[in-house]
Amino acid sequence: MRNYENLVIVRPTLTAEEIQESLKVIQEVITSNGGEIAATDDMGMRKLAYPIDKNERGFFQVIYYSAEPSVITEIERKFRLNEELLRFVTIKYDTNREITAWNELVKKAKKKAEAPKAETAPVVEEAPKAKTAPVAE
Amino acid sequence: MAERRKYKKRYCKYCEAKVDFIDYKDVAGLRFSLSERYKIMPRRLTGNCKRHQDMVATVIKRARAAALVPYTVTRKAVVTAPFENLK
Repeated sequence: MRNYENLVIVRPTLTAEEIQESLKVIQEVITSNGGEIAATDDMGMRKLAYPIDKNERGFFQVIYYSAEPSVITEIERKFRLNEELLRFVTIKYDTNREITAWNELVKKAKKKAEAPKAETAPVVEEAPKAKTAPVAE
Repeated sequence: MAERRKYKKRYCKYCEAKVDFIDYKDVAGLRFSLSERYKIMPRRLTGNCKRHQDMVATVIKRARAAALVPYTVTRKAVVTAPFENLK
């Protein structure tokens, strides 16, 4: 089993319920192929950096999972068939350093999933003012 | 007189912070190594070491594929301040 991460962008024209449903379908593709989902992280509706299929916005979700390397091609094939999916990015976490980073990310995602209902702390976290100015002067 | 060197050679910020892994979803962190037209800044200007520059480059390319960071910025897009939209 190897650790992976998938970022999926779902079409913004769907209603909120339809988005949740299509996300479920996406996660089912992973689980039905023997993947184990460790955590999911909703990044929510965001503006895309460039239009994809004439869409300016998209609903982002990050799925952390572990699966057999041979399964990934099948998962990606299924993703391509899904028309509600605008874009997906699969990242492999292979080396020791990357695996520790993956564990950290999973922990963070889990915390974020539990936190927002209790308090709105993550919102503060996401807007740090420590934006270092570019080096070029 | 030859053109004066505009930028000072700098130390690697990532080495100083002991960064082992950069997350491509952290767009604010990537801004440091991007020019205002969202090109990857060369090492001689940012002072990144080779190891971290390689990490930064792959991470930025991933972020571009994920539509978190634009590939190119035209003049029109520059006017509308792309980074605020990306927030």
